[in-house]
Amino acid sequence: MSDFHRLKVQDTKSLIGGMAKSVMFEVSTELTETFLWKAGQHLTLRFELNGEEQRRSYSISSSPFSGDPLRITVKRVKDGLVSNHINDNVKAGDIIEVMPPFGGFYLEPGETKRRTHYFFGAGSGITPLFSMLDSVMCAEPYSVAYLAYGNKNHKSIIFKDEFDALCDANKDRLAVLHVISDSSLWSGFTPWRKGIIDKAAIEALINENPPYAQDAQYYICGPGGMNTAVKTALMSFDVPADRIHMESYGGMVEVDDSVKGRAAKVEIALQGQTHLINMAADQTVLQAARAAGLSPPFSCQSGVCGACRGKLNKGTVHMRASMALEDKEIQQGAILTCQSVATSDSLSISYG
Amino acid sequence: MSEKKMMHVLPLEAYTSQAWFDREQEMIFSKTWAYAGFAEDISEPGQYISVQAGLNNIFIVMGRDRRLRAFHNICRHRGTQLIRAVGKAQKALTCPYHDWTYDLEGNLISVPEEQSEFKDLDKSCLGLKKASVDMWRGMLFVHPNPDAGSIMEWFGEVEPHLGPHNIEELVEYPDARVEYEIKANWKIVVENYIDVYHLAHLHSGTLAMYDHAKAEYGFFGPHYAFWEPLSEDYAKDIEKNAPTPLVLPLDQLGASVPMLFPGIGLAESESNWATFIITPLGPQLSRVENRVRLKNASEWEFQKQQWRSASFWSKSIKGKYSPEAAEHDDDPMASGDFTAEDIYACEQQQKSLKSPYFEVGASAQNGESPVRQHQQVVLDFVEGRYL
Repeated sequence: MSDFHRLKVQDTKSLIGGMAKSVMFEVSTELTETFLWKAGQHLTLRFELNGEEQRRSYSISSSPFSGDPLRITVKRVKDGLVSNHINDNVKAGDIIEVMPPFGGFYLEPGETKRRTHYFFGAGSGITPLFSMLDSVMCAEPYSVAYLAYGNKNHKSIIFKDEFDALCDANKDRLAVLHVISDSSLWSGFTPWRKGIIDKAAIEALINENPPYAQDAQYYICGPGGMNTAVKTALMSFDVPADRIHMESYGGMVEVDDSVKGRAAKVEIALQGQTHLINMAADQTVLQAARAAGLSPPFSCQSGVCGACRGKLNKGTVHMRASMALEDKEIQQGAILTCQSVATSDSLSISYG
Repeated sequence: MSEKKMMHVLPLEAYTSQAWFDREQEMIFSKTWAYAGFAEDISEPGQYISVQAGLNNIFIVMGRDRRLRAFHNICRHRGTQLIRAVGKAQKALTCPYHDWTYDLEGNLISVPEEQSEFKDLDKSCLGLKKASVDMWRGMLFVHPNPDAGSIMEWFGEVEPHLGPHNIEELVEYPDARVEYEIKANWKIVVENYIDVYHLAHLHSGTLAMYDHAKAEYGFFGPHYAFWEPLSEDYAKDIEKNAPTPLVLPLDQLGASVPMLFPGIGLAESESNWATFIITPLGPQLSRVENRVRLKNASEWEFQKQQWRSASFWSKSIKGKYSPEAAEHDDDPMASGDFTAEDIYACEQQQKSLKSPYFEVGASAQNGESPVRQHQQVVLDFVEGRYL
């Protein structure tokens, strides 16, 4: 699963005034099976930039049921090496190294399933939600969907036209409700609400659109703080936790660099063997292990996919990001080795 | 020995015996989606209703997320029925027997004298047993199995053959809500509802505004669908003739009268949308509940429509028997009311089942084919072939 494949860029499309770009991939017949995706999953891309390998994970923004090509949509991140490279340089005909679709945040539509899907998205967090929502419209005919979609202003709304078209085609079972945070006046665009997707907005959404199909599901994808805030609000209305699904958006994981690592001795149990290695202050566990010639599992290197997961048996670490782990797993010692720097002199870590 | 008497596909005793009644309760009414009311019966968080569905008593309650939850109405302590038919709870449901209390998610949250009486009680294992609930066509449905799956696996096949009504836009007319008992087995009532052959005869004076000769009908899974157009006479000036404001566009007029399984009858016409819910009470006794939805229009609009259509209806409706032939003032056969005519026919048929001389004759090839098919569905269920 951690193999990269060379995919050809079929086409690209610039969005929101050049601030984001969709990249569509051609998938050859022999790779079709490998690149089948579930709505909500992401791709890990590998680039060689300035002589260094860079990996980033981006959510797939097209539905596997719409007939559209495999597509990611990347918004520029300020000073972001890869996101700006994609926006500035990637074009039709390019070959990009891509890992097969991955991720546990997904929606599987069903012909006879009958659900009320509530989506909460903001900014480029919309990309997996668009894939999910389009999939419900394409392949789950008895279900309805509501999307609360937060943006700074009407010009920064990714997929505005696509959503308008989807709404037109599915008047009876889809509503997209725009929430705009800029306090200035807009011309020709009236959002559902001003402000952000907070508790009041969520309460209004559910009261105005109570579930008709009683199997209600809730999906959240937005920048760092939003996910927890929306989840907390939903749970305050007694939404059971097992109906809430969330993910920080691909490649834009909140990174906490506030804690500096320290040099440490690390005992690593991998594939039945134990190795003792040295780890520099600026190295992650993964980097140290690879530098020592070991081959531990890893994939996205951005804390999203969970492929590099290990168990901390001794010592303490700081994780710059931990999106792929549940709080409960972290309490039980799970760490993402690609995000962990040492905060104690010695560590003991086991894989698998 | 004489041969076992038959009602075509089912034996006669299916309509008279307690054993058959019990078997149907177990194999049909305790294992299928059961009608539980109108969607608006639960309109705010904390509100609940309970429904007897075969052997199961199930209640539905709305959470603050406005989603419905369904639970078996049985206290996990000693099984007492937890809540009454309808009501509103703030945040908890308390059993009257020993005050065991559950939250709206069904979790057991409080047990009186827990420390002294139940030392190692694991409350997390004593939550209410879950059931399934969904809303469809403006109605609530429950299923005893928490993993019943999608209600569309049950109704999906028949749905395209039901009326084109926009049910959510219609409103209930509360005065039309009635409940009555029919002294007949529930299948007699169903068979009367789906008997196409009788429409032009028993109801010659009461349902002539529909063109029975053009009826289209058939089974989709266990569910029966039926549609017929308006009669020419009624249709030609329908905007004047309709008794209440039309609920269908002019190019979609007609009456859909399906009988969903088990015993969930609908009457979806050009001017109203109604339910006809049959509940077996005993081998020879059934209850029917009717509720009606009409166009969301002003009283004035209804009044005008009634005046406009009065002349059509006064000349179109007459009893099966003339007033002179009536046995008494309330003779259903002179009433001009098709429901009264049907009840009469059902009860008279049920009475005859007890006669030693009873036997069914021929069955109409087309017009009574739904009767035979429904009997086959029932047989398949009680013999465990369906679920």
